[in-house]
Amino acid sequence: MFDLIREIGQTLSNNKLRTILTGGAVAWGIFMLIVLLGAARGVNNAGRENLRGQSFNVISIWPGWTSKAYGGFKEGRQVKLKDKDGTTLKQKVHGVSKAEPFASVDTAKLITARDAVSGGFGAIFPGVEASERAELLTGRFINQRDMADARRVMVLHERVARQLFGTTDEALGATVQCMGLAWTVVGIYSHRWRTQTFVPYATFKELTGNTNNVNQYDVTVEGLVTESDGDAAEQAIRNELARAHNFDPEDKSALWSWNQFNSYLRGNMAESILNWAVWIIGIFMLISGIVGVSNIMFVSVRERTHEIGIRRAIGAKPRNILTQILAEAVAITTIFGYIGVVLGMLVLQVINSLFGNMEMFKNPTVDISIALQVTIVLIIAGAFAGLFPALKAIKVKPVEALRDE
Amino acid sequence: MIIKLKDVNKTYPGIVPLHVLKDINLEIERGELVSIMGASGSGKSTLLNILGILDNYDSGEYFLDGVLIRNLNENRAAELRNRMIGFVFQSFNLINYKNALENVALPLFYQGVSRRKRNEMAMQQLERMGLADRAHHLPGELSGGQKQRVAIARALITRPSIILADEPTGALDSHTSKEVMEVFRSLNTEGMTIVIVTHDPKVGQATNRIIHIADGQIVNE
Repeated sequence: MFDLIREIGQTLSNNKLRTILTGGAVAWGIFMLIVLLGAARGVNNAGRENLRGQSFNVISIWPGWTSKAYGGFKEGRQVKLKDKDGTTLKQKVHGVSKAEPFASVDTAKLITARDAVSGGFGAIFPGVEASERAELLTGRFINQRDMADARRVMVLHERVARQLFGTTDEALGATVQCMGLAWTVVGIYSHRWRTQTFVPYATFKELTGNTNNVNQYDVTVEGLVTESDGDAAEQAIRNELARAHNFDPEDKSALWSWNQFNSYLRGNMAESILNWAVWIIGIFMLISGIVGVSNIMFVSVRERTHEIGIRRAIGAKPRNILTQILAEAVAITTIFGYIGVVLGMLVLQVINSLFGNMEMFKNPTVDISIALQVTIVLIIAGAFAGLFPALKAIKVKPVEALRDE
Repeated sequence: MIIKLKDVNKTYPGIVPLHVLKDINLEIERGELVSIMGASGSGKSTLLNILGILDNYDSGEYFLDGVLIRNLNENRAAELRNRMIGFVFQSFNLINYKNALENVALPLFYQGVSRRKRNEMAMQQLERMGLADRAHHLPGELSGGQKQRVAIARALITRPSIILADEPTGALDSHTSKEVMEVFRSLNTEGMTIVIVTHDPKVGQATNRIIHIADGQIVNE
């Protein structure tokens, strides 16, 4: 083995320029494959991070304005969702396990001795935090007792808590002035995009005149598998609410919706397509590198026909020649391919440190398993690149090879 | 008897087939120093290629050291070439990126001899040829005579039954040719069988037996 390595080393170093040019093509192909894989991963990671705060089987709906005349009413009528709609949806739409109302005022002023913050104010039912994927940092969320007693308690977003109290520890259990009343902070949460202050829906209703109006429903639907399941569930919800509020079920502006399940499926599909596209592009690049290696190996075999003749005359068997040429091709692809892998990973590290924490691009790196897979592919590819030139080399008769100058 | 050819024929196919060897009958005893002489195109190189198992013949029989050489597969042919035949060529046929020691040791590489052992043996052969101080020189750094002596050392390293030399002095000046022929004569006195293909009468005269070949036939000895 050591002898074979020495032989390969001698042959390759004897043809430095050819070796470097051939290897360079392989290194470039692998480098681009690694960078593309890393970039795709960065995009996928960002996509996953953006989905982190999202429930996957939830369809969120908001009331809108009708754009079609329907049931004796003119278009342009405001649809007002009520808190009883949740019960209707649970009872009449197949698969709906939860329909959590969410009422809010756009701005409410929160005041403490330290600071004042104007921000969103969300009235929720216990359990909404789960469908909203809010992460509790300390304390608790709104519970049934808060609802039953219409307690003046609130759950603050961590940024709001820090602004009002300096630290989240100090905020827990402290009092905040809002709507002219004192509220107790019972929990601190974090969320990717929500910063609203959560209060019990019952308390909010009491304070705002018991209108029963709801700004949003998060409808949890069980048993969704395909995108058409998601579409069907969304349409069933729309049909039921259209019946209850007398608007055309096909009137899209009467009810705004966000089908998070279908978004999730599309995100997955986009991720999958991106991954496949990168692999396909990468493999085509690799193939072009391999064709290059194969071409150069053909030239090399042609140039070395006389040398092969000498080796055959002094006792080299066809398999010795075959092994040497295959090993040279594998050595070129593996060594230079590995250089490509290392350079690609270094470049990804640089990209990661410069741009790796953006909204649409996160942690663009490849892990060691990918590098190992690529190395295995390289060895196989190298053997493949050398196979045809090697077979050609052993087909030449020794006497013909010796005549070749 | 180390070489025995009986009614050996060889034809190169083509639009007009070329019958290059016609019913060749030849016997060479162990320890002989023989030259095969003939004009260009007479068939002497083809004969040497057949003797060296570098080429096949169409009909007849060829025995090398008692082994019938006919329709061998390439592995067996390579093995016999490696163990029984030492080649010396007109253009030396050294591998230009290997130094003298590596060139001489190369046949042993194909026998699976360890690197240390084969370098040791190669050095012995180079010492025998008076080239120990040139062991680590590349062929490009050697004179014609030195290259040919390296090639002879390589031919000898596997202790072959016979040395086949194809115009071994063809690329050398007269003084160096003389030196090389002296090496062959010296090896022959040690018992080595040597067959030299040449068109140089001086080389022929330096051998013990001359076989003339013309138009694919042995014409006289």
